[in-house]
Amino acid sequence: MQFALPPTSRKPSHAQNYTSSFSSRSPARRRRLQLIAILACGAFVVFMLFSRIFSSSPGRPPSGTSEVVLVTVIDDHGFSKEHIEQIKQNRRDYAERHGYTTFLPARADYNLKGAPGGWACVPAMRHALTAFPHSKFFFFLGQNSLIMNPALSLHSHITSSERLESIILRDKPVVPPDSVIKTFAHQNGDDVDLILTQDEEGLGYRSFILRQGEWSRFFLDTWFDPLFRSYNFQKGEAHALEHIVQWHPTILTKLALVPQRILNSYNAVPHGDEENGKFQEGDFIIRFPKCDSGRIPECEKIMNPYLPQKAEEQ
Amino acid sequence: MSLSRSPSPLPHGGWATPGLTSGRSSPTKRNYGDINGNGNTVSWASAKAKSDEVNGYPSFSTRSNNFFGRHVRKLSHSLPRFNLGRRKDFAEKEKLGRGRWSSAGPGGRLRNMATLAGNIVRRMRLRFLLLIGFILAVIVFYVSPLQYMWRRTSFLGGGSKFVVILASNQGGGVMEWKGPREWAIERDSVKNKKRYTQRWGYGLDIVDMTTKKRYAHEWRESWEKVDTIRNAFRKFPKAEWFWWLDLNTFIMEPSYSLQSHIFNQLSKNTYRDINHYNPLNISHPFTQFYLDDVSRSPVGDGNPESIDLIIPQDCAGFNLGSFFIRRSEWTDRLLDIWWDPVAYEQRHMEWEHKEQDALEYLYASHPWIRSHVAFIAQRKINSFPTGACDENGEDPHIHYREEDRDFNVNMAGCEWGRDCWGEMYSFRQLSNRLNRNLWEKFKDAISDKWGELWNGPGRQKG
Repeated sequence: MQFALPPTSRKPSHAQNYTSSFSSRSPARRRRLQLIAILACGAFVVFMLFSRIFSSSPGRPPSGTSEVVLVTVIDDHGFSKEHIEQIKQNRRDYAERHGYTTFLPARADYNLKGAPGGWACVPAMRHALTAFPHSKFFFFLGQNSLIMNPALSLHSHITSSERLESIILRDKPVVPPDSVIKTFAHQNGDDVDLILTQDEEGLGYRSFILRQGEWSRFFLDTWFDPLFRSYNFQKGEAHALEHIVQWHPTILTKLALVPQRILNSYNAVPHGDEENGKFQEGDFIIRFPKCDSGRIPECEKIMNPYLPQKAEEQ
Repeated sequence: MSLSRSPSPLPHGGWATPGLTSGRSSPTKRNYGDINGNGNTVSWASAKAKSDEVNGYPSFSTRSNNFFGRHVRKLSHSLPRFNLGRRKDFAEKEKLGRGRWSSAGPGGRLRNMATLAGNIVRRMRLRFLLLIGFILAVIVFYVSPLQYMWRRTSFLGGGSKFVVILASNQGGGVMEWKGPREWAIERDSVKNKKRYTQRWGYGLDIVDMTTKKRYAHEWRESWEKVDTIRNAFRKFPKAEWFWWLDLNTFIMEPSYSLQSHIFNQLSKNTYRDINHYNPLNISHPFTQFYLDDVSRSPVGDGNPESIDLIIPQDCAGFNLGSFFIRRSEWTDRLLDIWWDPVAYEQRHMEWEHKEQDALEYLYASHPWIRSHVAFIAQRKINSFPTGACDENGEDPHIHYREEDRDFNVNMAGCEWGRDCWGEMYSFRQLSNRLNRNLWEKFKDAISDKWGELWNGPGRQKG
């Protein structure tokens, strides 16, 4: 017979001979080898641990960084000093309660090159992204809004992945009432970089949440495009936002629409959709849309009942 | 002893299985008919005796006893047989032996030479084998399609990371009638890129830029770079860098690979700070206080990893006749933003160079763009012929120079009053002449000398 392989009895006998003679000859040496191996493993583990710690340190925020930054652009033109102070205090109280940071720049800080004042929210957000590079979420709140339920933390109320996935409005026309562009039917909470609401007329751009990152800088720069600012959009920055959201899919993919009363309840709804838009007790935010149209004395009067009440509570 | 297969007989009486051969005479005596179990009475020995009768070979060679002798004889069996016409009388009678070199016949010069060559080969066997192996290796790796394959692989050549996008048929179709010259340009340019990409294992995407009514709203006519690049991304899902080339370009030095020419030392070959050469006078960097450090830095983050777009600048600003774009998230955003209806509505009268002007505008006004754009010296990938950008005469930063062996020529603007085909033709000839191999140079030198001899030294060929 011819065998494809050599008979098996020969080779193992050699090998066994070799190892057995080696190990039996020096048990002390064997023990030493074991010790060396264990030490080497230990050293390796320690090295990996340290390298992990040191390599991740630049990515980890330095201690004392708050997770959320609250941004409001202050335009004190025509308002009384006390009123402005109360608005600021409203933000500060909320931030203090949850360990957040407030960022309250003045509108005059930003040179808009002749564009309407509302545009200041864009560079202000860009500024906040720069000033707090380690914070995760940036909550823009228009000046004429108040935080009514400071007990709600942004994380549990909106930004946590599970919560966000439960409240996202999917497959909804981005711009009401009948835009052909709709939000995505499937969206992961972690993929969302911009959280917005709609009211009856358009996008609720006076309160939105941005996630820190390259995408947000891209989004803000695009929104702030000089050609949009100089274009006669009827409602300035609001229409520019609606424009980019509808025309540019890279922006739409990162956008999540949430129900209006999550972060943008109104004190009065112009067309009567009270169920979805009007402020109810326990809502997070109340906004006074009339104030944005410039009737300031009237505005202070409307807001006052909400303000002192807040002040007493605190 | 049993056999796994029947042994094969050799004509000189040896056996392929050495263990079977006790002496050379033994096989003739053995009968293997029973081994195959067919009970056939035709023994191998008798068959061999028969065949010996037919082909006239003696069954035992007395001449080729040594090892080489045997094998050389075996070789000669498979060689072609020449009918030298010497033994016609014989051939008529015995058809099987017709024209065979006769071992018994008079030697002949041919045979002596063959023996001599055989002897030389035999003596220098190892060296000869090495030489043949080397030649085979050269053929296999450099001439055959295998070269393309191994240059494509990510670990050997990395060629599959690069794709050339060639915009052909620009404005063709409805806008212009193509003449023979246009066809010739197209043919030459496409062939040039095909050869280049074949050589280095790159992908090639020839795209038809025919003006069509492609969009429902009609605005976007011939703003198709964006869609073309997106399609190429889809078509070559593994590629990273895409090199856009207009049709009126010619790769002058096909021996330069993109890796060695540019990408192996990306930070050395490109510059991030536009102030280095700034024909558009774009103020750089941004100074707004609210921007982040990277956006306010003249060189972005300074890391070549963050470069996603590499563009050359000519005398009038960005030039998109030849540029590189990298697959990345940033690029997706750029391709998305590049064309915007509001910007288009306001500027389309001014932006006669379409994407190029729009990109200049984006670069000038969007901070997020700048931190991912790098520039490259124009002559690195986009040399101009003397007809383009010549308001200030010849410029060493812009125009092609033969002695520097520039990589690629872009006959930009040749369709406006210059002779595209003439330029293409002369550059093609120049490239061929510069890249002759040794043999061609030798031939040309001979023919030059010949021409000199006959026509006199004054009339050399150009």
